[in-house]
Amino acid sequence: MKRRIVVTGAGVTSSLGYTPAELYQSLLAGKSAVRLMPEWQGLVPVGSDHVSAAPVAISPEKSKSIKRHYRRSMGNAALFATLAAQQAVVESGLAAEILGNGRAGCIISSTIGSSSEVYESTKAVIEHRFNDLSACQFFRIVSHSSAFNVANFFGINGVQLSPCSACASSLQSIGLAYEQILAGRQELFLAGGSDEVTPIVLGSFRHLYALADSDELPPEELSRPFDARRCGLVCGEGAGILVVEEYEHARRRQAPVLAEIIGYATNCTGTQISQSDSASIEACMRLALADAQIAPDDVDYVSAHATSTVAGDREEAAAIRAVFGDRVPVSSVKGQLGHTLGASGGIETAAVLAMMRHGVILPNANLAAVAEDCAGLDLPAAPRQQPVRTVVKNCIAFGGVNATLIMRSAEAGA
Amino acid sequence: MTRDRLIELINQIFVDQFELEPEELTPEKRIFEDFALDSLDIVDLITGLQRKFGISLRDNKDVQQIRTLQDIYDLVEKLARDNPDLIAKLPE
Repeated sequence: MKRRIVVTGAGVTSSLGYTPAELYQSLLAGKSAVRLMPEWQGLVPVGSDHVSAAPVAISPEKSKSIKRHYRRSMGNAALFATLAAQQAVVESGLAAEILGNGRAGCIISSTIGSSSEVYESTKAVIEHRFNDLSACQFFRIVSHSSAFNVANFFGINGVQLSPCSACASSLQSIGLAYEQILAGRQELFLAGGSDEVTPIVLGSFRHLYALADSDELPPEELSRPFDARRCGLVCGEGAGILVVEEYEHARRRQAPVLAEIIGYATNCTGTQISQSDSASIEACMRLALADAQIAPDDVDYVSAHATSTVAGDREEAAAIRAVFGDRVPVSSVKGQLGHTLGASGGIETAAVLAMMRHGVILPNANLAAVAEDCAGLDLPAAPRQQPVRTVVKNCIAFGGVNATLIMRSAEAGA
Repeated sequence: MTRDRLIELINQIFVDQFELEPEELTPEKRIFEDFALDSLDIVDLITGLQRKFGISLRDNKDVQQIRTLQDIYDLVEKLARDNPDLIAKLPE
């Protein structure tokens, strides 16, 4: 009999809240985390003389709540992940004995282990300031930094993986956790992703003409998925971590069941590293639906990747239209949070869990006029009260990577 | 006076890098057992001392013998005696 996989805890570190509940309330209230970044002036060659992003502010007190012994090997991404994982562990009621019994694992990934640490350490080496390099520099930078830092913090000694795939990183992590538990290799995982926004990251997107940059729009309106005036993405950061657990294991310890993961798929284009293509996104969603053994008509909501880039939204919209037509509401929270890169799948899945709990679909912020190339979809521009039972969550990444996760709410039988 | 200044600067490394309280920093304290430092911290201690005093310690065999805070005071004082420049260049 196929094992059932459920989510028993969720945590976020985000620019719009330090818990999933805070994040949901901020999103519902229409808040935006996008602001001007005068401190980065001159570090990113933007055309309009200003730089915008959606950064996370962690107070020194919050940071120091993690003991130095653990914190010393963390860049911001790993710190974000650890703070989010703490919430997920508490919500799930996980005791240290379970986390350390060899049947619990940790799958957390990022675009880069810590882009701020890459910048600082490279600068120190180039300037021959070798005494400014920490012994922990390597541990902050490496691609699996968030995974081992979280594992080490909680004493997790099972499988540790980090499927880094830029903006699909955390959804692939959650999907991989689902697959590992399905295969019987572990009973549960802390799974998700984390990422940082820095001038290096922003500059890379800017160089590719993918960064939103406009003299006509205020910062909070720059990120506008599916809108006719969309002009690129706004970078954000943070972490989203779930406890993904085998159902019987969760039931035996009376853990809360937030949702069931019923399907997952990931694929790639094989033809393009920088451009999304609707055919492969459509294929990925159909593979996930097949894995979940459901039809498109069974889906209540699509949480789109939709980063507000011209080409990306167009291709994803075409794929969603091909699979679901205009019957299923589709939205992206990136209009308010920006694109949190490797963290986006984790944070946005946590937002979906809150939508399920409240029976509300959060809207596409800044959607004033649906773009012609995104027409033919149901794109809510305001919060919509309706049951959110079965959800398709997409993530799409540079490298031609697609990932789709399908969840069913606890109310609908998880 | 110079020894007091050396101790003050060394203690500052323990406060800044290892987040210890100044009142914990008494000479007899064992850096591994009492301060819970480990091998990664020792690498940072070495670079911290190098940065603070402009000396090279990485390949200094005496570093491996360090057990207490007193050992560090003694080592840096010995290096200062051998190298008058170190004292002259002490940070304000």
